[in-house]
Amino acid sequence: MTKNEKKSLNQCLAEWKLFIYNPTTGEFLGRTAKSWGLILLFYLVFYGFLAALFSFTMWVMLQTLNDEVPKYRDQIPSPGLMVFPKPVTALEYTFSVSDPTSYAGYIADLKKFLKPYTLEEQKNLTTCPDGALFEQKGPVYVACQFPLLLLQACSGMSDPNFGYSKGKPCILVKMNRIIGLKPEGVPRIDCVLKNEDQTNITTYPHNGMIDLKYFPYYGKKLHVGYLQPLVAVQVTLAPNSAEKEVTVECKIDGSPNLKSLDDRDKFLGRVMFKITAHA
Amino acid sequence: MRQKRSEIYSVELSGTKDIVRTDQGDDKEKYRGLKNNCLERKKKNQEEDFQKELQLDDHKLNNRELEKKYGTNIIMGLSSTRAAELLARDGPNSLTPPKQTPEIVKFLKQMVGGFSILLWVGAFLCWIAYGIQYSSDKSASLNNVYLGSVLVLVVILTGVFAYYQEAKSTNIMSSFNKMIPQQALVIRDSEKKTIPAEQLVVGDIVEVKGGDQIPADIRVLSSQGCRVDNSSLTGESEPQPRSSEFTHENPLETKNICFYSTTCLEGTVTGMVINTGDRTIIGHIASLASGVGNEKTPIAIEIEHFVHIVAGVAVSIGILFFIIAVSMKYRVLDSLIFLIGIIVANVPEGLLGTVTVTLSLTAKRMAKKNCLVKNLEAVETLGSTSIICSDKTGTLTQNRMTVAHLWFDNQIFVADTSEDHSNQVFDQSSSTWASLSKIITLCNRAEFKPGQENVPIMKKAVIGDASETALLKFSEVILGDVMEIRKRNRKVVEIPFNSTNKFQLSIHETDDPHDKRFLMVMKGAPERILEKCSTIMINGEEHPLDKSTAKTFHTAYMELGGLGERVLGFCHLYLPADEFPETYSFDIDAMNFPTSNLCFVGLLSMIDPPRSTVPDAVTKCRSAGIKVIMVTGDHPITAKAIAKSVGIISANSETVEDIAHRLNIPVEQVNQRDAKAAIVTGMELKDMSLEQLDEILANYQEIVFARTSPQQKLIIVEGCQRQDAVVAVTGDGVNDSPALKKADIGIAMGIAGSDAAKNAADMVLLDDNFASIVTGVEEGRLIFDNLKKTIAYTLTKNIAELCPFLIYIIAGLPLPIGTITILFIDLGTDIIPSIALAYEKAESDIMNRKPRHKKKDRLVNKPLAVYSYLHIGLMQALGAFLVYFTVYAQEGFLPHTLINLRVEWENDNVNDLEDHYGQEWTRYQREYLEWTGYTAFFVGILVQQIADLIIRKTRRNSIFQQGLFRNKVIWVGIASQIIIGLILSYGLGSVTALNFTMLRAQYWFVAVPHAILIWVYDEVRKLFIRLYPGSWWDKNMYY
Repeated sequence: MTKNEKKSLNQCLAEWKLFIYNPTTGEFLGRTAKSWGLILLFYLVFYGFLAALFSFTMWVMLQTLNDEVPKYRDQIPSPGLMVFPKPVTALEYTFSVSDPTSYAGYIADLKKFLKPYTLEEQKNLTTCPDGALFEQKGPVYVACQFPLLLLQACSGMSDPNFGYSKGKPCILVKMNRIIGLKPEGVPRIDCVLKNEDQTNITTYPHNGMIDLKYFPYYGKKLHVGYLQPLVAVQVTLAPNSAEKEVTVECKIDGSPNLKSLDDRDKFLGRVMFKITAHA
Repeated sequence: MRQKRSEIYSVELSGTKDIVRTDQGDDKEKYRGLKNNCLERKKKNQEEDFQKELQLDDHKLNNRELEKKYGTNIIMGLSSTRAAELLARDGPNSLTPPKQTPEIVKFLKQMVGGFSILLWVGAFLCWIAYGIQYSSDKSASLNNVYLGSVLVLVVILTGVFAYYQEAKSTNIMSSFNKMIPQQALVIRDSEKKTIPAEQLVVGDIVEVKGGDQIPADIRVLSSQGCRVDNSSLTGESEPQPRSSEFTHENPLETKNICFYSTTCLEGTVTGMVINTGDRTIIGHIASLASGVGNEKTPIAIEIEHFVHIVAGVAVSIGILFFIIAVSMKYRVLDSLIFLIGIIVANVPEGLLGTVTVTLSLTAKRMAKKNCLVKNLEAVETLGSTSIICSDKTGTLTQNRMTVAHLWFDNQIFVADTSEDHSNQVFDQSSSTWASLSKIITLCNRAEFKPGQENVPIMKKAVIGDASETALLKFSEVILGDVMEIRKRNRKVVEIPFNSTNKFQLSIHETDDPHDKRFLMVMKGAPERILEKCSTIMINGEEHPLDKSTAKTFHTAYMELGGLGERVLGFCHLYLPADEFPETYSFDIDAMNFPTSNLCFVGLLSMIDPPRSTVPDAVTKCRSAGIKVIMVTGDHPITAKAIAKSVGIISANSETVEDIAHRLNIPVEQVNQRDAKAAIVTGMELKDMSLEQLDEILANYQEIVFARTSPQQKLIIVEGCQRQDAVVAVTGDGVNDSPALKKADIGIAMGIAGSDAAKNAADMVLLDDNFASIVTGVEEGRLIFDNLKKTIAYTLTKNIAELCPFLIYIIAGLPLPIGTITILFIDLGTDIIPSIALAYEKAESDIMNRKPRHKKKDRLVNKPLAVYSYLHIGLMQALGAFLVYFTVYAQEGFLPHTLINLRVEWENDNVNDLEDHYGQEWTRYQREYLEWTGYTAFFVGILVQQIADLIIRKTRRNSIFQQGLFRNKVIWVGIASQIIIGLILSYGLGSVTALNFTMLRAQYWFVAVPHAILIWVYDEVRKLFIRLYPGSWWDKNMYY
């Protein structure tokens, strides 16, 4: 069989040519114009129908959703921690105290991030009672103020360079927003230095406290202007040495329902980052 | 292999011929298409070669010369030391088994065959991807290594499975081939010894007695009444006498040579071994058989075709999207990983295994129906058979002589020839019958072997020749205990049948105590018997035999003879008591009793009758568009009679000779086109050119080849194959093995077949019954249909598995389904359902349509691929996407937020990705959601595959016509699908590596409307196909 099927190149070409266009039957790619018309029409109708059907079922599915609160929140029972400024790759901050351009990006990022926290932005927000969950019944939900002053040295108000120029860089730690989350106990962010004891670490507000009044969160649509509480970490690098590298780990503490120990999720209730400062 | 074969040939061939032959072997196919003279030369060569190989002259030598040639002594035999030397020189006296492919090669072939090569490529790409990642980032995730390893594991597992299946089916056969080691009685060191036949060497003097197999080619030195059955070698069914005389130039014809593997039926023979092992005639033929190439089975071609299509689609889509991905500025590494995903999604990993299982299930089913399949793929080949070349004896007939007609009282009576003879309806009241039955009973030497009291009469073993056995059983059935009757009519004297007398005679005392006369009974060739008679018995009275009665006798004789039956005449004479008193001593040598002026009683004719199931089976073949050709070594008249009675030549069709006879004109004047049937004898065939043979095969619907040699079978098979037919050939003799090998499907007889034939065949009929072939054909056709369904079912979900990758690349959604999850569908949930389709009953009478054309009716045709991929597959993909979107939307990621989210979604450093509602997700939380998405997509496909499975039950009929619950295995399949799905999601949901999560129960029902839609759509498709056959819809939508 195989021997017979081995045709010369010319024959092969001719066959292909005939397949692409056959002048005797008027077939193009094995079908006549009419046949092509029919088949294309069929697929047009068929796929049109399928598209309409899919759109319809999607629409029905979307009708089951609530625009304010997601139907299920089981996949995010506990918040993750994230730091600012957002480093480009991995969680590593590298800068040189003497070179302002090396940390200009970080400062810009921080400023951008803290923009909603400026006084002007916050003037419409409510001052809420401290130390207790701020539960609301709606229909209008108000957001609590988060005075930037709480961040003290890292608020950017006293030091527009957030300490980078002095070798005391500020890193903001924030807890991920989760709708309806009600932390128990007295949650705080606890930061420790790994393998380093010469450097100091300061958290603002004092002790890294997170006030319960910022919880629960009612969702982007209802809870307009919501500001999540922040904790600033200021690492004071020893001024004497030329190059410093420290690793900081922050985790949520003091609240039994906020997890911070998960084998797989390294950001659930904790965050680890590295700061490398050159002279 | 080839080298080895030509060595075997060159033993007997001259150098030049050897070259010609090897050339032919290589260019067989080319030669076929060339001019006729070339073909004729080939044919001639083949015959010449065969003769050449038989260059033996030992039959011409006398004993003295033989002793000298082989250095032996006829009385004392070889010495043990000499024998040992010869054994060391020539090797054991056994046939070299055909060279087997080494097991490891078989195993490796499974590893790289089919889709495996694609998966290997996928696995290596995975590892390469990891290598590149690792070189740039030491902490690169091991996911790709795992995936690569899983792919390799899949290849190895499917390979091992396929290998195991093959080994299992080969084992069935090899157990069949096991023979009991043969012993031979040999004279060595002047002593008679029994040694294993394998240790025989040339020059050994052996003794063989009736019932033994001839242990080597031997030259007869002395014999006593020896007859051998050469049918396995030459196809002659008559026992051949053997003696020490040299009677013919041709070693095959001469009486003083017995051949290896033939059987000595009776008598004893002493002879000298002249050839052993592969140098025997059988050895030569066996190597000739291995020289005939095995054609690829149709299903193997179909599977290959299918693999090509799917691999082509996989590779071209893969490369297309690789290019798209690269031009969309994806990194090459990522694009490579997409490529792997696309390949894995496209390859139906489980399918080839499923096909194997399906075939072996059918093989098992066929074994139950007495077709033992040696080669799995032969199961389907039988279904596509368009010509069956069948043997007559044993296959179409019962292989035993049976009384078919009786003639007495000037009348022909029909006897029942069915397998159990239960229904003998002819008139038994006439006193002529009483006399005739007495002759039949008494003038018969055959006896039942003792100890068979509980065996039905027709199955009892008998000592005696075929005709006598037939008569014995016939009379036993009608008259009861024959032995008792013989006892009452004590035999005084007898003359056994011999070929010069052509009659058999015996004289008995009668069972009437008052009648002191002796009764002489005689049977024999009718014309001989008639010569000896002067009267004829009609209605119990003796009438003188005049011309008119003689004429009626001749008409009856001719009529019965014309039916191809063996006719015997019967006569008797009561010897007058006065001349032959009780004390009279009969002397058979002096013949002191009359043997003329006897009373003619009747005729009785015997035939090897067709099996009762055969006519039905032949009709079935005919309606199934299968041509049945009878090839027999028998006489044309007998062949034609049997062909007519089983319907191979139908009642209203005539041969050229019939027409000539009817119109009373010479054969040459008959218009060839008027005849539908043809009877071709071996002699005619010998003088025919290949074109003439082709013409006969093409023009006649009903063909019988009579008086053919087994070698001519090969020519007939080749002729049929030139008509583009798929040819099934039955055979039992050693000489049939080349034809069996050459045939698309060789069918050997389990009972009568020789081992060589069984070796060469693809299938063994355990009951030697033609009807079993037809059952096999039915099963073969069913399996082809069901394989189509299985493949359509399996291909469908490939689109649903592929679309996610395409959407992922183009629209940047989080990956809807992972590669490992795909493997769980292909090798997990879908396996049992696709096997379940093998149990589906036929949709309509599959024996009423033409056999499939092996080049036009493909297993996987365009409508099948298009309908599976672009219709149902796409609907499935949409349904699965619906489940996926639902899961994401209900967790907070609405469909529109997902678009182009891929980069951020997969970035390990983004741990606060915001969803539609303002919540923030860590990477791991997203990943977990992604796995939930995989599970959801998986469940979506699973639910719709259930609908897919149900619609695949039929291709044309409505499911409700077919019956939703008739095939219970389908429901087992559906249950298995659901259970495996539940286990994966809820049982193994916590095993991270598998990427399954516990899915909310309601997501199982999201795709149900799509599943129902699939069902409804397919019902509509089938409805239009049934309503408008031949329409545009039918052509484009029927697969």
